[in-house]
Amino acid sequence: MDPVKTPLGKMLLEEITPVVMVLRTPLVEESCLKNSLSFIEMLSPFCDFNNIDVPVRTSSDQPYRLQKFKLRLFYESDIKQPNIMVAKERLKQVITEAGEKDRSDLSTDPPDISNVLESFKSEISPSWFEIFNKELVRTVSFSEHEAFDHPVACVSVVSSKDEQPINKFVDLFNTNKLPSLLNDGAMDPKILKHYVLVHDNKDGPSEKATKILTEMKNTFGFNGCHLLCINSSQDEQIEHQDNPWAPYNFDSSPSQNLGRYLNIDDFNEIKDLIQELSSKHIIPYMEQKVRVLNQQVSATRKGFRNQIKNLWWRKGKEDTPDSSNGSMYTYSSVESQIRVLGDYAFMLGDYELALSNYRLVSTDYKIDKAWKCYAGVQEMMGLTYFMLDQSRKEAEYCMENAFNTYLKLGSSGRQNATRCGLWWIEMLKTKDQFKEAASVYFRICSEELLHSAVMLEQASYCYLLSQPPMLHKYGFHLILSGDRYKKCDQIKHAIRTYRNAVSVYKGTPWSYIKDHVHFHIGQCYGFLGMYDVGVTHMLEVLDCSHQSKATQELFLRDFLQIVQKAGKSFEVLRLQLPVINISSLKIDFEDHRTYASPGSTSVKESVWCSLEEEMIPSLPNARTNWLELQSKLLPKYKESNICVAGEAIKIAIEFKNPLEIPISISSVSLICELSATSDETNSGDHNFNVDTDVSCSTSGIGNNEEHKNLSIILTTANLVFLAHCREIISDTSSFSLSEVNISLGGGEAYLVQLTVTPKVEGILNIVGVRWNLSGSVVGFYSFGTNYGKKKIAKGRRKAKQSPGNCLKFMVIKSLPKLEGFIRALPEKAYAGHLQHLVLELRNQSEFSVKNLKMKTSHPRFLNIGKQEDLDLEFPACLEKKTNVSPPANPKIASNGVFLFPEDLSVQGENLLLWPLWFRAAVPGNISLQVVIYYEMGDLSSGMRYRTLRMHYNLQVLPSLDVSFKISPYPSRLQEFLVHMDIVNKTDSESIQVNQLSTIGSHWEISLLQPIDAIFPSQSLIAGQAFSCFFVLKSCRKSSSTGESTSSLFPHIGSNVSLVPDGSKGAPFDTSNSPLADFHECERLQHGISNQVGNNRMTIKCGVCFLYSAVSVKPYNFVLITLFNQSCNTASTSPISWVVDAPRTRHHDFSTSFCEINFRMTIYNSSNARASIVIKTLDSTSVSDQLRDETSGNQVGWHAMSLAKDIKLESDALRNHVRKSLLPESVSAFIWSGSSSTRVQLKPLSTTEIPLQICVFSPGLYDLSNYVLNWNLQPVDDHENVGERIQSSGTSLGYPCYLTVLPSD
Amino acid sequence: MIVCVAVVGHQNNPLYIQSFTEADDALKLHHIVHCSLDVVDERVNNPKKSGLTLNETFLGLLYPTENYKVYGYLTNTKVKFILVTTDLDVRDADVRNLRYGIAKFFRRFHAAYVDAVSNPFHVPGKRITSRTFAERVSNIVKSFGLSSAG
Repeated sequence: MDPVKTPLGKMLLEEITPVVMVLRTPLVEESCLKNSLSFIEMLSPFCDFNNIDVPVRTSSDQPYRLQKFKLRLFYESDIKQPNIMVAKERLKQVITEAGEKDRSDLSTDPPDISNVLESFKSEISPSWFEIFNKELVRTVSFSEHEAFDHPVACVSVVSSKDEQPINKFVDLFNTNKLPSLLNDGAMDPKILKHYVLVHDNKDGPSEKATKILTEMKNTFGFNGCHLLCINSSQDEQIEHQDNPWAPYNFDSSPSQNLGRYLNIDDFNEIKDLIQELSSKHIIPYMEQKVRVLNQQVSATRKGFRNQIKNLWWRKGKEDTPDSSNGSMYTYSSVESQIRVLGDYAFMLGDYELALSNYRLVSTDYKIDKAWKCYAGVQEMMGLTYFMLDQSRKEAEYCMENAFNTYLKLGSSGRQNATRCGLWWIEMLKTKDQFKEAASVYFRICSEELLHSAVMLEQASYCYLLSQPPMLHKYGFHLILSGDRYKKCDQIKHAIRTYRNAVSVYKGTPWSYIKDHVHFHIGQCYGFLGMYDVGVTHMLEVLDCSHQSKATQELFLRDFLQIVQKAGKSFEVLRLQLPVINISSLKIDFEDHRTYASPGSTSVKESVWCSLEEEMIPSLPNARTNWLELQSKLLPKYKESNICVAGEAIKIAIEFKNPLEIPISISSVSLICELSATSDETNSGDHNFNVDTDVSCSTSGIGNNEEHKNLSIILTTANLVFLAHCREIISDTSSFSLSEVNISLGGGEAYLVQLTVTPKVEGILNIVGVRWNLSGSVVGFYSFGTNYGKKKIAKGRRKAKQSPGNCLKFMVIKSLPKLEGFIRALPEKAYAGHLQHLVLELRNQSEFSVKNLKMKTSHPRFLNIGKQEDLDLEFPACLEKKTNVSPPANPKIASNGVFLFPEDLSVQGENLLLWPLWFRAAVPGNISLQVVIYYEMGDLSSGMRYRTLRMHYNLQVLPSLDVSFKISPYPSRLQEFLVHMDIVNKTDSESIQVNQLSTIGSHWEISLLQPIDAIFPSQSLIAGQAFSCFFVLKSCRKSSSTGESTSSLFPHIGSNVSLVPDGSKGAPFDTSNSPLADFHECERLQHGISNQVGNNRMTIKCGVCFLYSAVSVKPYNFVLITLFNQSCNTASTSPISWVVDAPRTRHHDFSTSFCEINFRMTIYNSSNARASIVIKTLDSTSVSDQLRDETSGNQVGWHAMSLAKDIKLESDALRNHVRKSLLPESVSAFIWSGSSSTRVQLKPLSTTEIPLQICVFSPGLYDLSNYVLNWNLQPVDDHENVGERIQSSGTSLGYPCYLTVLPSD
Repeated sequence: MIVCVAVVGHQNNPLYIQSFTEADDALKLHHIVHCSLDVVDERVNNPKKSGLTLNETFLGLLYPTENYKVYGYLTNTKVKFILVTTDLDVRDADVRNLRYGIAKFFRRFHAAYVDAVSNPFHVPGKRITSRTFAERVSNIVKSFGLSSAG
């Protein structure tokens, strides 16, 4: 690339050009100002020659042609180093102006980073940087150590109106006015002089001027004088087609007025003047000077001899004090001359000559330690290398060297370093070394904020342009720059940089940085008053839970401030504060299933279904059930949920505050849409569109490639949704919404309950939720986007529902709805607690309901009473009444469903009260469900029936713990000993046991000892245990009265009072309604059939404890314990018997043998008639016959097992005993009387058989050598068909020992 | 003194950033870490230029700022470890010393990271929230501070 065509080359050709000093009189300026131009301004468009085509011959003999040439004109007063403060002001002005112009696209969305990368290089960085950089370069012009700013020529301008113009020309050269450069010897005061006489044609004809010109030519010589006539246009103003001043942009007036009195003749005259000045005077003068200087330099410095001499001479100067400001070199010094030579050669385009001279002088300066001059020469060397396009490395090395040398000078070199840096950067940019350029930008940042802001911003664009783009650094430098801009109140620049930074960080998880950028950009917009845009940026920082508490407060405060300043309420989709936990969304609605309390919905649907199973008419049976009716009415919506007009749909959703500071949220409500049935299709489609748009746009976020398109979709979808929401919100006539205000503390989450109540029939669609943050920002959240995760509270039809439908409801005509609750149901109770409760049902609507049914999940806990129980006084009603009427059979169907009487009406103000009995059956946490089914009185309605579901949670604490052990009462038939341990398991209650009752007619209970003896304290304190013994006696009579009696009075048992008489009223009747019912439930629970006529000797008995806590008087407790212990008596056969023989007998054997009479009692426990044969055996025959079966016929003294159950003994032992006894076995007694007795025994009856033995000697006798053969005669009782009954058998006698002692 | 350590995922997403200063300079350190990613990318894309040998995970000094030096380490799964330190006058030989240098620090840090992401409950690509990891890293940082000081 031709270095001249590069930006740096162009810049150098404009900036390093000969300077012409202009001296003028005030009248000249006056004439020019008629055109709104100063004299220099008037000339400057014509000073730039792109094709001057002048032959130039410098040092070499071969001339070359100069094409591009430019003169820089300055008034004498401007030729000086600019004041630093003024320069700063000027720079600031440039920046501010650039900011003003930049207003155009501030409010648009920040560009996407991929777009930025694709755009052209020139578009990336703002164009005003060029202007700024130029201004920055100019701050260091006219320095002493650089000759290219030293005026080459001087033009004196005098007006023809001036008096004594010749004298004026002389006066203009008065040295007082001349710049210091000329006066203090930095440059040669003998410069080329040129004299121009300006004539204003408006002032009259030019004769006088030509006269003066001749006079001038006589005085100053022929060549150096010139006449310039301006303002030739007569009266009319000229509109120039392409105004030559327009691109120069002087800040005074609009460009079309510029040069309004100058016509084409004037133009040509000016052009000619400058052309002549350049080509005939300045260029030849410079050529001349270059040649002269070159000769001088060659004479003194070139060649080996001169170099040695120079070195020698320099060494001698080494001791001179180091002065770095360059003033040690006057124009006459060799060094200055070489520098001038170099600069002139550079300006004339002879770069080779320039370079050789720069090289020469740079070593001199270095040896002299004249660092500023050295740096300046190095800088020029770098530029010359660049213009020669020879050695890049050399060029860069020189620039870096110059830059560092300037920096070393400290503050005085600072600005020079900046200029050098800028040139260096341009050089690097030309070679596409953007990264290096960026680092140079970074190095020229000074402490001054505004300056460094511009530099950092330029650096950032360099990072962006580097290959590959360094986006992270780009963003970082933009932010650094933005911060500085903001501190300098250059808000628009700050916004631009921040906005660019946003595009870098968008979509990345660097939240700290993102927050910082969005917060500041939001603040900036706030300063500018563009609150809308500011708010959108501030919204991004709201979810700043990762920030410290102070930062969170700051963010929220500033956000609210901006919102307040905006003075309107914002509506924001997906407001990030608070966070909405969509997975917590829970919808409660009531179709045919209605709920008594909010807690009811938490119970699983399957639980309810199993309860309702028997009550709800099943599909095939009821042809006209509501489902079919519905599908006929609205076939399209059979899958959507049903709700009833006038009944609220409850939505629970969790709001979470992610911040550590409290926030207040008001007016939380649902966004709903209810379309009448007629236009359902339209609205449905509309919704669908919105839903799909929103969902697709959100799903794609984070996907970088599609980011651009998606963001557009997102915004449009947002707009559509917002508009949609507004439209919906305005239309609230057809339904009513609830509003909730909450205040969330730091990190708090709150489950908000919202309701919507449709008023008319149609399709209700719940679109989302809206809320108001701190009273100023309205947030929207659409449920539609996250269907996938949501949970439906009642998912009976979940499987077949398409996800979108769970927020869509079909609203049907309003229906009667029962509301019900159980009055005073305790939440916590001790086990056994018995209470009388009332169920209250209410129907708000005008329509009646019928066919009420009820079922409870735990009949052990909750029993449905009879209507007449309603007014009973409790607990008095439990007491035994004298006139016991047979209880009416309650209308409980086989599966436990209770049918209310047909004639009940629940309507309007009519309450239905129904008694319930509550008893805490077992300890633990119980979830109690009650379902009430009812049918609509009006058959035309959408539903035929509804169910009311009630749910209660109970905690039942343990009270009394009873354990028991039953053993047969020895030697008594049908009586048992019960050993019972009672422990008070309560925490603090004392318990008094009042009464103990058996349930049922089969058993009688009695105390073994009087109550005072075993239980003197009468009450059990917490943790205390006591045990007592009871006798349980079977009192089953022969069933001659028939089965009917027992079923009529199934629960009449016996009572034992455990308190001293008189302290308590009448004992409670356990056979009456509530207690008996609960007993029934207990039986069912334990799987015991009501049928007691079991042949086995199993004791199945309910025992009822009635007790009360001492401290809690009003409560009464009933503990029903079922004995279900198989008691292993001697025989498992249906026939049992007891030998009732005396234990000892004294007899005087000297007189006679002893006759002993005793009885055998036989009991037939079966329901069949039994015939029994008792065979008494002689001992000898027994031992042979029944060796294996008899339990022994031992006589005499021997060790005896105390175990009652001989069968438990091992056979080996028994055989051993028998064998050892056999040798001396002489039958010591004989059975007298018949050896075989036959009796017939009715079912459940006893008989006694007298027996007699004769004993001949004293001893111990075992009366077990008999055999009982029994045979049951089959009865045609169909109830026992299922049971396997042993129909016959043989039982051996069991040991019964008789001791016969001789009497004295 | 080590000022900050960071783990950055292969999509340049921050996985773990922990500063060890009392000052509230989270934003600054985030910026430093974020910027250093450019240098890491550059090193990885031009391994010859930056003088990295093949399979070398330790990237060395990424860039010096006025007050800090930033070192980098790249695992074979393109997870970057960044270390920001205030020790400005460290010789390169000391840095690369595997017994006590920063390279050693990165080895240990890498091991801790591997253990943390081996946790079955860690979601790859998400921030590392393991408390054990945080403790271990701070121990490594502390022990490094001791060894380098001594």
